[in-house]
Amino acid sequence: MNSPLCSHITPIFTRRDALRLMGGGFGWLAFSGLAARAASPLAPKPVHHPARAKRVIFLCMRGAPSHVDTLDYKPKLNADSGKPGPRPGTRLLGSTFKFTQHGASGQWMSELFPALAKKADELCVVRSMQTDLPAHPQAYLKLHTGSSQFVRPSLGAWSLYGLGSLNENLPGFVSITPPGGFGGVQNYGSAFLPAIYQGTRIGTDGRAIAGADVANLRPRQSGDEQRAELDFAQAVNRAQLARDRVNPEIEGAIESLELAFRMQTELPGVMNLDRESVATKQLYGIGNPTTEDFGRKCLLARQLVEAGVRFVEVTHGNWDHHFNLNANLRSSAAAVDTPLHGLLTDLAARGLLKDTLVVWTGEFGRTPHAEGSEGRDHNVGAFSLWMAGGGVKPGLSYGASDDYGYEAVEGKVPIVDLHATMLHLLGLDHERLTFRHAGRDFRLTDTKGNVVREICA
Amino acid sequence: MKATPVILALLAVATHAAEPPTAEETAFFEKHIRPMLVEKCYDCHSAKAEKIKGGLTLDTRDGLRRGGDNGQVVIPGDAEKSALITAIRYQDSDLAMPPKKAGGKLPDAVIRDFEQWVKMGAPDPRTGSAPPIAKKYDTSAAKNWWAFQPPKASAPPTVKDAAWPRGDIDHFVLAALEEKGLSPVGDADKATLLRRVYFDLTGLPPSPDELRAFLTDQSPAAFEKIVDRLLASPRFGEHWGRHWLDVARYAESSGRDVNVTFPNAWRYRDYVVAALNEDKPFDRFAQEQLAGDLLPAADARQRAEQLVATGFLAVGAKSLNETNPRQFAVDLADEQADSVGQAFLGLTVGCARCHDHKFDPVSQRDYTALAGIFLSTDTRFGTPGGVQGRNLSRLVELPAEARVPIVAAPMAAEKFKGKTARMEDLSAQLAKILADRAPNNPNRERNMQGGMNAFDIVRLFTQKAELEAELSNYESDGRPKALTMGVADKPLTATTTRRGPSRGQRTSGFEIIGDSPLFGRGDIAKAGDPVPRGMPALLATAPEIPPDTSGRLQLAQWLTSPGNPLTSRVIVNRAWHWLFGRGLVASTDNFGTTGERPSHPELLDSLAKRFTADGWSLKRLIRQIVLSRTYQLAATHDDARFAADPENALLWRHSPRRLDAESIRDAMLAASGSLDLKPPVSLIAKAGDGPVGGPRNNVITDEQASQAMHNGRSLYLPAARSVPPEALSVFDLPDASAVRGAREVTNVPAQSLFLMNSEFVTQQSGRLAARVLAAYPGDAAAHFDERFAHACWLTLGRAPEAAETAAAKALLARKPATAWPAIARGLFTSAPFRMNR
Repeated sequence: MNSPLCSHITPIFTRRDALRLMGGGFGWLAFSGLAARAASPLAPKPVHHPARAKRVIFLCMRGAPSHVDTLDYKPKLNADSGKPGPRPGTRLLGSTFKFTQHGASGQWMSELFPALAKKADELCVVRSMQTDLPAHPQAYLKLHTGSSQFVRPSLGAWSLYGLGSLNENLPGFVSITPPGGFGGVQNYGSAFLPAIYQGTRIGTDGRAIAGADVANLRPRQSGDEQRAELDFAQAVNRAQLARDRVNPEIEGAIESLELAFRMQTELPGVMNLDRESVATKQLYGIGNPTTEDFGRKCLLARQLVEAGVRFVEVTHGNWDHHFNLNANLRSSAAAVDTPLHGLLTDLAARGLLKDTLVVWTGEFGRTPHAEGSEGRDHNVGAFSLWMAGGGVKPGLSYGASDDYGYEAVEGKVPIVDLHATMLHLLGLDHERLTFRHAGRDFRLTDTKGNVVREICA
Repeated sequence: MKATPVILALLAVATHAAEPPTAEETAFFEKHIRPMLVEKCYDCHSAKAEKIKGGLTLDTRDGLRRGGDNGQVVIPGDAEKSALITAIRYQDSDLAMPPKKAGGKLPDAVIRDFEQWVKMGAPDPRTGSAPPIAKKYDTSAAKNWWAFQPPKASAPPTVKDAAWPRGDIDHFVLAALEEKGLSPVGDADKATLLRRVYFDLTGLPPSPDELRAFLTDQSPAAFEKIVDRLLASPRFGEHWGRHWLDVARYAESSGRDVNVTFPNAWRYRDYVVAALNEDKPFDRFAQEQLAGDLLPAADARQRAEQLVATGFLAVGAKSLNETNPRQFAVDLADEQADSVGQAFLGLTVGCARCHDHKFDPVSQRDYTALAGIFLSTDTRFGTPGGVQGRNLSRLVELPAEARVPIVAAPMAAEKFKGKTARMEDLSAQLAKILADRAPNNPNRERNMQGGMNAFDIVRLFTQKAELEAELSNYESDGRPKALTMGVADKPLTATTTRRGPSRGQRTSGFEIIGDSPLFGRGDIAKAGDPVPRGMPALLATAPEIPPDTSGRLQLAQWLTSPGNPLTSRVIVNRAWHWLFGRGLVASTDNFGTTGERPSHPELLDSLAKRFTADGWSLKRLIRQIVLSRTYQLAATHDDARFAADPENALLWRHSPRRLDAESIRDAMLAASGSLDLKPPVSLIAKAGDGPVGGPRNNVITDEQASQAMHNGRSLYLPAARSVPPEALSVFDLPDASAVRGAREVTNVPAQSLFLMNSEFVTQQSGRLAARVLAAYPGDAAAHFDERFAHACWLTLGRAPEAAETAAAKALLARKPATAWPAIARGLFTSAPFRMNR
C-alpha cells in the first residue's frame, strides 16, 4: 500500500502514539503504509542493552515452599531444634530433610530434589530473597505485579510490552493454571497497558492441565465450514472498507480475524503433547502419576517458548505447609523434581537454555520455628529461589539468611530487585521501561529497584 | 509541645553557625568525615552531581545543614534524630545510603565516626553556599493552567459558511475548522444517523420497523421526535447509567486480594440508572453520592434513595486481607479521595498522597486535608470477614417505610434462633480458646499443644464471622433487613465498643471525626502534624468545615458551587466523549497539566456555562449536542482533511467507533430476538456474602460470574471484580479498579476467537437464523433475498450490498442446511456490526 500520507505520518508517530491510535490492537500502521510486522504492537522491539535472555519460564510455587527444608541449609537450626525460638512463644523446628552439596559448585540442596540436584551446577540459587507482607494474596500480587496495594500490570505483561512477541500467530504471554484467588487475573493482567499484553490463561489452578485449553480456541465446526463462514464475514468487512476506502478499524478487524484463525490453527499444534517422543515425555515424568501433571505443564511451557511465546508462567500448588510438613512437602517436591530436571535438560538439549531465563520461586518462605507440632508459618524476611539459563551465573550461591533462616543478612534481594534483574537480563532497563498513564510514567519497579549484577553472568 | 525539638534544632544550628569549629573539630572533620563524603556521597549530592538526588547537597556546610526535599538530614548534637545517620545505618530500607551501586553500607567504624561527629555538633569548616535547588515540583505556573480558570462565556463566532450551522455548537466547530482551512464532510444518511443515535442514547439498535418508520417520515422534526423519545425511554438511563458506573468504579465484589461479594451494590447501580432516567440535576446527583446521608429528606423514600447514593463511596476495590487496620483505613480514605478527585474534578489528587503533586497545584497538605474528610467518614461496605477478610464493616440500614425491594428471602424464625444459638456456641468456644492461650495464662504452653490446631481455630473464626454477617442481615423474627452500602459520619467521641476487625482487637486509630496527620511519604508509620480538613486551595474559596462533621457535605457543595471551574467542565466533556468517542479534552479523567488541552476551549466553556445555567440537566445537554449538525455528520473518510487532522480533533466528520462491550452483547440479543428488557435480579445479590470464585467456600463460582447467560441487558450481568462476564471483558469492560471516564478500545485476537467460537455467539447466531427463517417460512433455500435483507437490517441497520449478498449466497450454495446460522454468525463477527458510525 502506497498511501501518499505515510511519508509525513510515519516520522511523527512514536510507538505510544501508534498504540493509542490503533487502540492497542492492529490496523493503523498497516494502513499508513508500513510493513505489517512493524505495525503490530506485538512486533519485536529494540532492547535497551544487549539481552542475555530472550524469553522467560516463570515457575511459581504457589503457597510458598519452605526454604529451610529445600535450598537454605541451616545446621544451627537443626542443632537447636526444639529450643525456644527468637520470637516469643515459638519453638525452633529443624529440618528433617538431609542436605548435601552437589556438583562442582557444591550447591547445598536437600534430599527433596534428587533429580534437580543433578543440575546443581546450572542453578543460580538466591538465598536472600525478601518480600513485605506475610499473607498469600498480597505477597502473590507483589511477586507478580510489584504492588499489592494497587492494580498494576504483571511482570509478563511488562516483558511483552517491552520486547514484543517472537511469533505473532501465538499469544505472547501465557499463564498455565494460574490461581483464581490470590489476586486472580491481576497476576497475569495488563492493568493500564494495552490489553494485547495481558496473559492468555490455559487451565485453572487445582485442576489437571490435561485437556485444558485457551478460551474459545476450538471451532465448533469443521475447518472448511469455518473458513467459508469467515470468508463471508470478511466479505462484509471488505464491502465496508470499499465504501470507506480508508478505515483502519475495519482493516484491524480483518487482520485480527485472520490472526485468530491462524492462532486457532497453530496453537493446538504447539500445545499438542502427542507430537513429543516417548523419551521426551519420560524425561518430564509424564506417565508417572506423581509427576504427570507438572511434567505436562513444563513440557507445554517448553513447547510454547520454543514456538516463540515470550513469557510463560507455570503455577504449581499447594506449598502452603502449615502442618504435616514432612509428608506434604515431600509430596509437593516429588511432583516437581523430575519435571524440573527434565525441563532444564530438554531446554539445554534444544539449545534454548542459554537464552531462556528459568525462575523457580514461591511468594515468600516459611518460618524456622514450628507451627503446631509439625508445620511452618509464613516468613517474609528470607526465602530462596533459583534461576537458570539466560544470563545468570550457573552454579552460583548468592546471598545468605541468618543462622536460622528468618532474615536475609547478606545480599538482600527484595522483589523489586528481582524484577529489575529479570528485566535487565531481557535487555530492558527497568527505569526506562515506562508507560504513561493517568498523567505520569509508570514502571514495574515504580521508584525503586536495583539490578543484582552479582548474579548476572 | 511538638515544636520543641524543631526549635531546639534551630537553636543548635544558630549556635553553631555563630561559632567556627575548633582546630580539633576541624581535624576530625577533615580526617574522618570529608573523605567519606567526597568518596561516597558527592556523586549524587553535590553541586557537581549530574543530577542532584533528593534535593540534597553535601559539599558545603550550607547544603548539609539545609537538608533535602525531606527536611534536615543532620540535627547537630542528636545522632538518633539525624536522617543522615539513619540512612548510613541502613535502618530504613527506603533511606539506605550509600546505595548498593556506590558500594553499599559503610563499615561500622565509619558509621561510628559519623555518629560521633553529629554528637559533637557536626562541626564543618567548609564555606561556600549551596546552589539553590529548584523547588522539586514547581507548580506555581500550573495555577494559570486553563482548567483552573473559571469558564468564560463567549458569543458563538461568526463563520464564513453561515448556512451550515444549526446552533451554537456548530458555530464553534465550524469556526475552528475554517481557521485551518477545512470544512465538514456531508451529513450522515438517515439510516446511519438513526442507528448512531439509538446506540449513543440507549445502547441498543433500532428495530427494522423503527428504521423504516424513520426513513419514511419526511417531516423536519422527525429526528427531534426520535431524540425526545429516546431520552424519555428507560433504556436511556441504563446506557448512560453504565457510563457513570465506569466513573464510579462500580463493581459487586471487593476485588484485589480476597475478592468477596458486595451483595447490596446493585442498589447503587439502580439508583444511578433511575437518576439518569429522571434527569436528576447533576449537582444534586453529585451531592447525594458524596453526602446523601447528610442531606435533608422529605420522606422515607427520599431518605433511602439518598443513603443508597452514598454507595458511590463504598463500592471501590479494597484489600480486605490487609493486616493493619490503620493501613486499611488510610488506604480506604485514599481510594475515596482519589476517586472523588478524578470523578468530579478530573484531577489525580491521589498523586499527592506521598509528596506534593509533581505537576498540578495539589500539595500533600491539600491531599491530607481531603483525606481527613474521608477518615472522618464511616464507610459501610459490609462483607463477612472470615479466613482472609480481616476488615469488614456494617451496612447502612434503610428506613422500613421506604419499602425498598429486598432480594433475600425471609428466614424462618426457628432457623434464626438455631443460627443464633450456634453463633453463641462458637463465640463461647472461641472465648475459651483465647483465654486458654492468653499470654498471661500459666497453662498456655500446655493448652497450645493439645486440642485444636491453628487451622481448626481459624475455621471457627470463619464460621462465626459468616454466621454473624448472615444474622446481621435479618430482624430477630427472620425478616430480611433492607441494607445498602454507603457511608455515615463517624461519631464525635469514641462511643462504646464498636464492631471492630474480625480478628484481634486492634483498631485503626481513626474512630472519630478528626483531621488526618500528614504521613511522610504516605507511610502510616511517619505520621506528622494533623492538617485541618478542607478542599484543595487552588480552585475556589473553600467553605469552612464545622468541627462536628466529616466535611463531606461541604465538599459536595464546593464541588458543585458556581466558583468551581472543573466539575461542570469535566462532566460536560465526558458527555461529549460518550457521544463522539473523544472528549473536547481528550484526557477525560485528567484535566491537570499533564492532561490534554481542549480542542475547542470556548465551546467547552460555553457548554459548561449553559449546563449549569440549565439546572445541570444532562438530558438537555445531550439533546443540544445530538441535535447539532456536528453530531449528525457522516463518517466519510477524506484524504485532505485526514492529512490535516488525522485524529479528527476538529470534528470534520463523525469518527466511527466500536460499540462498547454492553452494546455489542445487547445488540446481539436484540437482533436474535432474545433480549429481555425486564431487569433481572442481581446474581450476586442472590448469592449473598462470600468469596467470588476460587477454590474454596465461594458463593458464586468463576463460571457463574463469567458465563452468566441471562438474556437481560448486560448492565445487569454479575459485576464481580477479577471475574467479569467474558462477553464483556473481551471487549474492554474496565476492571473497576479506578475511575474510568473513557474506556480502552482494543482489537485483539481473543475478541475474534470469542465471536468465532464462543457458546454465547453460537447460541445467538442460531436464534437469529431461526428468527429470519421464521419471518419468511419455507425451506432453507427459499426467500433468500428477503431473509438476508432482514438479517442485515437486524444486525447492520441497513440493506445488504451486492458483494455481501453474493458472499452469503456462496455460503448457502455450499451447505444450505447450516448456512443460516453461519450467515448469522458471519454478520455478528463482521466489523460493521460492532461499529457505530
